[in-house]
Amino acid sequence: MNASTGSAGRFRLANPRYGLLLNIPGLLIVLLWVVFPALLLFAVSFLRFDNVNPVSFVGFGNYQRLWNSRVFAVSVERVLVFSLGSTALTALGGLVLAMCLSNVRKGGGLLRSLMIIPWAVPAVVSGLIWKWMFSPDFGVLSDLLMKARLIAKPLSIYSDPSLAMWGVIIVDSWTRIPFMGIILLAAILSIPDQIHEAARVDGADTVKRFLYVTLPMIRGPLLIGLMITTIFSFRTIDLIIPLTAGGPGRATYVLGYYIWDQITKSLNFGLGAAAGVVLFLITSLITVVFVYLLREK
Amino acid sequence: MRDRILESKALSYSVAIFVLSLMMMPIYWTVVTAFKPDTETYVFPPVYFPSNPTFEPFRLLFESYPFMDYVANSLIVTVSTTLIVTLISMMAAYGISLYPFRGGKLMLLFLLATRIIPPLSLLLPFYLVVSYFGLVDTVLSMIIANIYLTYPFAVLIMKAFFDNFPREIIESAIVDGCSRTGALFRIVLPVGAPGIASAGIITFLWTWNEFIYAFVFTSTPKAQPVTVGSFDAIGDVFVHWNQMCAGALVAALPGIIFVFVAQKYLIAGLTSGAVKA
Repeated sequence: MNASTGSAGRFRLANPRYGLLLNIPGLLIVLLWVVFPALLLFAVSFLRFDNVNPVSFVGFGNYQRLWNSRVFAVSVERVLVFSLGSTALTALGGLVLAMCLSNVRKGGGLLRSLMIIPWAVPAVVSGLIWKWMFSPDFGVLSDLLMKARLIAKPLSIYSDPSLAMWGVIIVDSWTRIPFMGIILLAAILSIPDQIHEAARVDGADTVKRFLYVTLPMIRGPLLIGLMITTIFSFRTIDLIIPLTAGGPGRATYVLGYYIWDQITKSLNFGLGAAAGVVLFLITSLITVVFVYLLREK
Repeated sequence: MRDRILESKALSYSVAIFVLSLMMMPIYWTVVTAFKPDTETYVFPPVYFPSNPTFEPFRLLFESYPFMDYVANSLIVTVSTTLIVTLISMMAAYGISLYPFRGGKLMLLFLLATRIIPPLSLLLPFYLVVSYFGLVDTVLSMIIANIYLTYPFAVLIMKAFFDNFPREIIESAIVDGCSRTGALFRIVLPVGAPGIASAGIITFLWTWNEFIYAFVFTSTPKAQPVTVGSFDAIGDVFVHWNQMCAGALVAALPGIIFVFVAQKYLIAGLTSGAVKA
């Protein structure tokens, strides 16, 4: 956080009033677009607000219902599995790509472009095209795995619950590896050559230098990447909606999907708002943990 | 010996190309399917290299769905949001970075914190407001939502750029009689263009790619964007996979174009907005 002045030093014509004036539209956006909806979310979470009963205040009633709901408990458990799996796979893929791309010259630009593409594809479209690849009838993935003799007959993520979770994890990390790869690549490239040189002179081999030079040097960006991937995968539903719609059964019914169902299907807004608050609290908690790790040197 | 292999360019290229080929598989498959006739779409084992590529899926897509309307809606929402967000966030970042004021740091911290609030959580309050004002099924509702979704990150990206902008250039311009606002538009804008472009491009893509809010806010082709439209293509009982892939390509096109045309700005924006802020 270098909040006030950057590398360029103090600005002699500083003028706080002008700075504030420039920020008035932005402040309005923050108040009307973020603060107000957030307050409204908390307010609605204390209401009985569905399409059957008249709206009334129920205190923590919605939270109590969530606490006692088996479906909600399943959704929390599912999102933990999903987020953990997706973040791990993203970190692995991002790190491998970043390491490789930091070592190439010719064609590096093209390879980088290819790496970013999944990030640039709309998440819902990612869900759609992977649904086509996963198709149990005409799916290309089944065929490839059969050609590689890894499976005997076409597989279906739509009937096998554990396969379904794997499916959404793979697709989610497919969309997230680019971002992880980009920030890790930038971090690796910013490590001064001299440090590696010095370690080499001291007799550190490649693996040792990766463990004791590269990893500690990219610790900050890696943690930020992990934090962003974790909190973003916690709220992912746009690729789950087309891919599995939470199924089969409740195999991929993550917390976000629970909220989505309350808003779009059950129309129980009070309950949806309470679940939205829970999602917010969980992601805040995760952020606090990561910020703590980032501060620790 | 082991080290020489591990550090060799050959190994780096091989691993990178192998991993990236796996990652490009869905893209390849979408492109190939989008140009397949039905006879080559619904077969198993699948056809990897279509023998007679055809534009038929695209023609049918635009005939059987109001896809032109989707594209138009997406363009209206995306261009408006990008212009609004880029202008306001540029002003805000210029102010925070060069004319520090009390509460400026706090606001920056707050903007960073808003990124923690899941947009999915605020979907409901936004929907209530949008329906209260009778804006359901309008493009305006999506412009409103996307301003919320993109503004904080745009400020963070631009702030990172303005922080590294040489102060002397602005100082001498102002000393030479240029107004502070004039300095923004005449000097900072041209020189700081990469930062502004980064923020603008990322805002554009996020808005174009947005689905959740658009799906809830819109219900007819009058307002539905491409993302919602391509999702509708699988809503039918029978999925026209080749048409679906054609729609997916249309929806993914801006992203893919920007990746190749403006890769530098995308990478600069994503790293500075995420790490430096």
